Amino acid sequence: MMGKVARKTLLALPLLFTAVFLLLPLGLTVVISFWEKVGLRVVPAFTLRSYAEFFSGVRFAVHERSLLVAAEVTLAGLLFAYPIAYVLALRASRQTTRVVLLLFTIPFLVNHVIRTFSWSYLLSRSGPVNEAVVALGLADRPVDWLLYSDFAVFIGLLTSYMPFMVFPLWLALAGIDRRLVEASWLLGAPPLASFFRITLPLSLPGVFAAVIFGFVGSFGESAVPIILGGTGYQLMGNAITSTLDVINFPLAAAMSSVVVATMLLLLAIWYVAFDLRSFLGKILRWRL
Amino acid sequence: MASWSSPLGRASAWTLIGVVLAALYLPMVPPLLFSLNDAGPVAALHEPTLHWYAAIWKNGVLVGAVWTSVAAAVIVGLVASTLGLLAAMAVRELKMRRLVLLLILMPLFIPGVSMGLSSALFFRQSGISPSLFTISIVQVLWALPFATLIILTVMATFDPVYLEAAYMHGANRWQAFRDVELPLISPGIIGAATFAMILSFNETERTALVQGALNTVQTYIWSTYKQIGLSPSLYALMSLLILLTLAMVVLFMAAAFWRERLRKSA
Repeated sequence: MMGKVARKTLLALPLLFTAVFLLLPLGLTVVISFWEKVGLRVVPAFTLRSYAEFFSGVRFAVHERSLLVAAEVTLAGLLFAYPIAYVLALRASRQTTRVVLLLFTIPFLVNHVIRTFSWSYLLSRSGPVNEAVVALGLADRPVDWLLYSDFAVFIGLLTSYMPFMVFPLWLALAGIDRRLVEASWLLGAPPLASFFRITLPLSLPGVFAAVIFGFVGSFGESAVPIILGGTGYQLMGNAITSTLDVINFPLAAAMSSVVVATMLLLLAIWYVAFDLRSFLGKILRWRL
Repeated sequence: MASWSSPLGRASAWTLIGVVLAALYLPMVPPLLFSLNDAGPVAALHEPTLHWYAAIWKNGVLVGAVWTSVAAAVIVGLVASTLGLLAAMAVRELKMRRLVLLLILMPLFIPGVSMGLSSALFFRQSGISPSLFTISIVQVLWALPFATLIILTVMATFDPVYLEAAYMHGANRWQAFRDVELPLISPGIIGAATFAMILSFNETERTALVQGALNTVQTYIWSTYKQIGLSPSLYALMSLLILLTLAMVVLFMAAAFWRERLRKSA
């Protein structure tokens, strides 16, 4: 037997858990970003020094580069993931879709750090990619820019986060009422026009969710730039960990807060513009 | 894109899927090869040895890391699936469902480093020293959105009519849940627990910032790489993690398949 109050309390447990161990720490991080570093100690204060240091120094260039790289990866991810999700949602049988989606899940489950180590071999001077390039006569000697370069980081980030983007796109596309598309055909719209005026707009909630996943991942990633970028290659993620290595907590907190604020802004836009209903409504029958 | 209904369009779409999947699965191969012979893939195919796998057990730090990983995975599997079940029920029953769901899904939208850093600062300020507890907390946070979504999708296939029937036979809410709904949604709970364990085994960035003196297999690989670079034993560890992850997926699929068959034959 359980009273109503006990039941509500039990149901609130996961919310409490997330509030205490995620929201509170994120808030605390913002607070600490205003604290002062005195020698090796951190003392409560209200100073904008960390932000000034971040926005004026080389680290801000890192921030800009991260934004650019994340945008490129997200765009490329969409270009790959959208057609895949489209085919699965609208042109494949249920059974095939299940199998292919499972195949996309498995690499995501295997730690991307391990997969990134593999890329550092696959793309190396003596690696198989270079061997293939030479064997095919595309170049007469191994190509240098494959590894420890923007290209390598791009590949690493894309393969880490693209699989994740397929799912929201598939969810959104699979939920489109096909009668709408058929109606537009009947009304004489050519297929391409139907796509741009019906299917694409209706799939936007999924597109935006995929953008957030791709962007969050590649903007805050720390292992890929370290492994594939080479010495000194910095993106926001590993810039934060290297700030931590010199025990500058307020600066690390300031940088992290800027990253999190960017993400929450994107999330807020999504929440206001699309609402979860249009997206998760299909898998949850209840009204959200 | 509607032109993809043409045979040519369809063929190119499936080629794209094939190429992308190949690019995603290819990176799982090199660690296996390098773990079998440190001289490289060619040597590995001709003279494979399990030497580096045996060497894992002679390293005390590493054996400790294995146990920490196993303990964390068990805790995360149990806690994340339980909290995921409660969260799914909360989404169904509490007011302001969208906000409830958004809060639960929040960890998906916070980059790993930021989550690790915030947790580390939080534990530091509240005087909680790094331990299996702190590791489990960040990993549960990371696994909870996935666990909740899995259970929610299974719950959505459950027909509330069964609960009505139970109430009409005099069951209270708890009995109806335990005897009617729980057995029917148990595949979702098992799926959530499996997924959570896999995520726990494969987590590096968040764990590395809150582990203190402890190590999991993942963070051991990461910190050893940063200090001295890759070695055959690290490749052996990576291979074990890859194989373990694949084995868990296969086991889970097999279990689901058998359940389905049993249900159909019943």
